[in-house]
Amino acid sequence: MISTALTDLWYGFGVALEPHNVMWCFIGVFVGNMVGVLPGMGPLATISILLPLTFGIKPVGAILMLAGVFYGSQYGGAICSILLNLPCHPPHAVTCLDGFPLTKKGRGGAALGITVISSFVGASWGITEMIFLSPILVVVALKFGPAEICSLMLLGLLAGSTLARGSPLKGVAMTVCGLLIGIVGSDIETGTPRFTFGIPNLFDGVEIVALALGLFGIAEFMKSVNQLSEVDTKYTNVKLKDLRPTREEFRRALPAMFRGTLIGSLCALIPGTGPTIASFVSYATEKKISKTPELFGTGMIEGVACPEASTHSSVQGDFIPTMSLGIPGDAVMALILGALMIQGIVPGPQLISEHPDIFWGLIASFWIGNIILVVLNVPMIGLWVKLLTIPYKYLYPSAMFFVCIGVYSTNNDMFQVGEVVIIGIVGYILLLLDFHPAPVLLGFVLGPRFEENFRRAMLISRGDILVFIKHPISAVFIFMCVLLIVMQIYVRLRPPKVLATNIVLATDRKASEAAE
Amino acid sequence: MILRADHVAGAAFVIFGAAIIALSRDLPVGQLSMPGSGFLPMIVATLTIIFGLMLILRARESGPFAELGWGDGKHAMMVTGITAVAIALYEHLGFTITMLLMMVTLLIVIERRNPIRAGIYCIAIVLFTYVSFVYGLKTPLPEYSF
Repeated sequence: MISTALTDLWYGFGVALEPHNVMWCFIGVFVGNMVGVLPGMGPLATISILLPLTFGIKPVGAILMLAGVFYGSQYGGAICSILLNLPCHPPHAVTCLDGFPLTKKGRGGAALGITVISSFVGASWGITEMIFLSPILVVVALKFGPAEICSLMLLGLLAGSTLARGSPLKGVAMTVCGLLIGIVGSDIETGTPRFTFGIPNLFDGVEIVALALGLFGIAEFMKSVNQLSEVDTKYTNVKLKDLRPTREEFRRALPAMFRGTLIGSLCALIPGTGPTIASFVSYATEKKISKTPELFGTGMIEGVACPEASTHSSVQGDFIPTMSLGIPGDAVMALILGALMIQGIVPGPQLISEHPDIFWGLIASFWIGNIILVVLNVPMIGLWVKLLTIPYKYLYPSAMFFVCIGVYSTNNDMFQVGEVVIIGIVGYILLLLDFHPAPVLLGFVLGPRFEENFRRAMLISRGDILVFIKHPISAVFIFMCVLLIVMQIYVRLRPPKVLATNIVLATDRKASEAAE
Repeated sequence: MILRADHVAGAAFVIFGAAIIALSRDLPVGQLSMPGSGFLPMIVATLTIIFGLMLILRARESGPFAELGWGDGKHAMMVTGITAVAIALYEHLGFTITMLLMMVTLLIVIERRNPIRAGIYCIAIVLFTYVSFVYGLKTPLPEYSF
């Protein structure tokens, strides 16, 4: 098994090191790093904007670029959190707690240096995990029938919507909305048009590009248009030589890095948890086991190393269920799956055998991309810091501009552009009402496949609904769904833990201070 | 009783679910042994109504509807309105003119940025994108068509 995986990885390096693939990987991580630094931009909006561009790129290059944007933005997000106390992306909210006090003490450069090392360690572990775990998962998944696939998708939908940001009830409600949007178009089995209102453009359903750009492009920018003021950059004067941590800082950060990596990789195995929960859990754990927990929040290097390692380990691990089972854990992964589907590739366990170039090329590119990121971040820290000074008022018109041409260039179809604007306005209202739109995408991507497998399972079992419990693997997934619901009810009923509450309160305080 | 955000959201979900059920009357639901094309819409619409009702029941956890941050709404709608007008003109005026006008309006008229700096920025972005799409990605962009 190990030798096969290593041979396949070698093949993957062959694919990823092809000059055009290295170029797409570089563009991905560069753009990702840049948008990670820019307040108000995030991987979701960026991948949505770049999605139409992937039409003209070969599948391998397209996936390498989009994946690069995702993990590249995690690197950039840390810079923003440490130097500006501005948690532009949720996973880095925890990094602010100790990162910014370190910056105020004049050790911001060292915190960034430790972040680069932690991120690389975490990502490397996540990639290794993917190399060995994915083929095993695929072997198991190939034995799945429609009932098992249906239950697994139900678990993915539930986990993705209940464990994400905000209220679980709202998360599930948004997933249901995504399922409904996924229904629009011709029925796969009978060809009956559903909710098309006689509009021919809707016969193929709502395009994922339109949905993603509407929800994460237009809606997010509409929400942020007044909120983000120009940032205070008085602590951002970091030079290359400042990035080097002292021996003592490195000695303290190293074990924290490994603990963070482990927690991140464990969190990645649970669909829906993602890097945000991983970073919160790892910070709480690090604080709990520390001999000086009272010093956390005052500039402890462990408080930077641990969450950053866990974030990156989790980000890489998120690709495991996505690429090996075709079940995305969150909205970013759903978009990456959407990109695969746009290219005519059906995600799922057969992906590794049918498109080994994509799977192994992607894994190999993770290492290449992470090395590029280290190389980019060290000498270009000055440029990233300068980027922080770009006012948001300049950024969002450019983003709107890219949304318009991106969606038009997909099919040269004005109807789709109109769709984006309508979805954007609905998304904006939902954001105001405190509904996060990410689960919509999850429901939209998984919905049609869920329906197809559900109907197939019912047909094979002659309408026996208990088929989902009679099949042992399916029963396990259903049990996990029930467990998830019970857990959510339990968490809501029991009084919140003091430590977790303290972290949430502190990050909220930091975020509001930064916004002010 | 204070009207809360989740009252409105929940009611919207209930109405939406009911509308889906009404619209899917023509779709065959089928039987459990052979679900038709109306089977899943019916289940999902029912779930939408249930979640809407749950939101209404738990609405006290949300803030008052009147206190929602609608202050940004006017600004956001102006931005979207300008984008929508640009989209409508896109096929007639072509890429360069429409996008330049859109960016200039957003930056100079709406955001009141320095006109010279904003103008240079807009021209640079439009040119860069034009070159990237037309020459780099070989994707044709619409030209002026009057």
